[in-house]
Amino acid sequence: MSRPGRDDSPDRLYTLTQGRARSAPDSPFDLVTLVVAECDPVPGMQSEHVTILRAAQRPVAVVELAAELRLPVGITKILLSDLLAAGRVSARHPRKAAVIDPDVLEQVLVGLRNL
Amino acid sequence: MTAPLQPGERPSLRSLAPVPLLTAVLAALAVAGAVARTPQAQRLPLALGAGAGALLLCAAVAVATRSVLTARITRRRLDAVTADTGRLLQDRIRQSAEFDQERVRLTEELTRERARHAAELAQERARSAAALGEERARQAAEHAAVAERARQAEQERAAAIAATANAAGRMQALATGMLADLRAMEERHEDEDVLADLLHLDHRTAQAGRIADSVAVLAGARSGRRWARPIGMESILRGAMGRISGYRRVRVHSACEAAVAGHAAEGVMHALAELLDNAANFSPPTAEVHVYVEEVPAGVIVSVEDSGLVMGDVQMRRAERAVSGDVGGLGGLTGTRLGLAVVGRLARKYGLKVSYRPSARGGTGVLMLVPQDILVPEQPVEPAPAASAPALPEPPSGRPVEGAEWSTGEQPASRPQGAPHWPWFEGTSHDTAHDDEQWPGGDGSGSGSGTALVPYGEEWPVSYGSSSLVPAETHHAPATPDHGPLPRHDSSGRDTDPLPDGLPQRRRGRALAEAEQERARARADEEPPRPAVVSLDDPLARAARFSSFQRAVRGSLSDLGSAPAEDTATPATPEPAPDPTRTSRPHPEGNATS
Repeated sequence: MSRPGRDDSPDRLYTLTQGRARSAPDSPFDLVTLVVAECDPVPGMQSEHVTILRAAQRPVAVVELAAELRLPVGITKILLSDLLAAGRVSARHPRKAAVIDPDVLEQVLVGLRNL
Repeated sequence: MTAPLQPGERPSLRSLAPVPLLTAVLAALAVAGAVARTPQAQRLPLALGAGAGALLLCAAVAVATRSVLTARITRRRLDAVTADTGRLLQDRIRQSAEFDQERVRLTEELTRERARHAAELAQERARSAAALGEERARQAAEHAAVAERARQAEQERAAAIAATANAAGRMQALATGMLADLRAMEERHEDEDVLADLLHLDHRTAQAGRIADSVAVLAGARSGRRWARPIGMESILRGAMGRISGYRRVRVHSACEAAVAGHAAEGVMHALAELLDNAANFSPPTAEVHVYVEEVPAGVIVSVEDSGLVMGDVQMRRAERAVSGDVGGLGGLTGTRLGLAVVGRLARKYGLKVSYRPSARGGTGVLMLVPQDILVPEQPVEPAPAASAPALPEPPSGRPVEGAEWSTGEQPASRPQGAPHWPWFEGTSHDTAHDDEQWPGGDGSGSGSGTALVPYGEEWPVSYGSSSLVPAETHHAPATPDHGPLPRHDSSGRDTDPLPDGLPQRRRGRALAEAEQERARARADEEPPRPAVVSLDDPLARAARFSSFQRAVRGSLSDLGSAPAEDTATPATPEPAPDPTRTSRPHPEGNATS
């Protein structure tokens, strides 16, 4: 059995999402979806939403937001879905060409190894 | 004194008359004869003389007769008186003898009676004394038995309460540990189905933990775990919501920035959870429970309003009395309704004020005042993104900011700390900074089990058995690079500077591999060991964020991820002056290395 850590939070994850554990089936979010805030945080908002909106003033990946929030990606996706449904954020996928090209990847790999 | 004459005591005329009459007759005859023999010439004088003599003689005879008679009467009376006197004397002697006899008899009787009474008294006294002694002995025995029973009951009660408290403490420890486990699993498993199941278990465990907390509170044990830092009102409310079954129906309306001091946070959370549970249980399953938080000069008022049953006056008074905390002892418990008693205990302990009133929503409203003295005035405000860099002279740290270059393609040297490019870092850094303020001795890492577990250890006087021997790595396993993205674990102990001889220094609760990694990173920095006063917050968060991103995006390249990033991210900025607030704070590690 592990012990609770000092920086644990009393929040349980299900209270952040009102008990939901799955994002909607049509959720556009995956790990690398870029998220951009569409508005500023307003008082009375859930603190995670505030954090997301602040963090996403420039495009930022879902996984980065998850790390920022210190929450599992699944939970982050649900929070993002809420914000997306409210029109407070927009999402887009990163351009894929840069990542897919194996030559580029290999060159990067070689370059990294040479460092 | 002369006795009155009786009629017979005076000589009567009849008894007195015959003698003088006889004398008179004789004298008359003698005179008449003498006169007749005397010559004529002498007759007259003789008759006169003889007549006078005869008269005198008659008078003398009458007087003598009367005297004789009187003497006779007097003698007779004297005799009678003498006889009376003798009789009286005799009577007196007789009576005196009777008196003596009677007195003797009475005296004897008295003595006898007294003796009898004395004997009876003595007997009665002996009997009473015996009865008394018996009664006293019986009562003493009874008293002793009762005292023994009372003592035994007291002992059993104390033992039962101690056992209950102990068991509740263990259950709390188990629940807390399980919640931590579940949280770790929730971080580890990406699958949504698994996550849903884990959240379900998490919820159940949290409810079980609340019940264990309630039992512990009623048993007089310390409640729950103790938080090492102030807990914001939002987290308090969520923590309370997370422990009740109907949390989905709770709507929170709060813009409160206050935080509850760490030592009281658990109690406030628990009391709120009980109030919320009451509100949710006593309202229709579809009705919502609304929670409003308002800051007032006296503290923070949390108002829980349901639209369920309206409490009657009597019920409301009873509830108010229960939550006032005035009723000590466990006598008032009714078995099924523990919640209000728990709230009462907690209210008394932390000075909470709970009151009931009818709610405008049609049900019952509960107001809970969290007093100012367990509030931390203001949570560190999350600065606005644009103003964050100047407003927080935080952390100028020489720590390489991995990933900064990747993100912006900008030379790290061209900006002071990278903060403007990652404005939201301030958001997280405040958490960690807050941690450090609360725990100056902490090393700012989740895996520093030595310091991290201090409050926990304090909280649980019960022994954990073998659990205390479990190395902290089990919980903080994600700290090693081949685990899922767990930023706060990943950032553990980055401030370790290599020893002067270049050997890696392994901190307690951390894998050696990580220390080795530290050393490699430090070499890559090509920098002398930083002064320990530098804050770790920002770089840690950034490193954590970046490494987790790397792992997630290019899983197989994760082993290469750290080295190049560190190379590119060597900051060219000079070491900024240490923040005075940080230098003043004791930092054990800093002292060891600087």
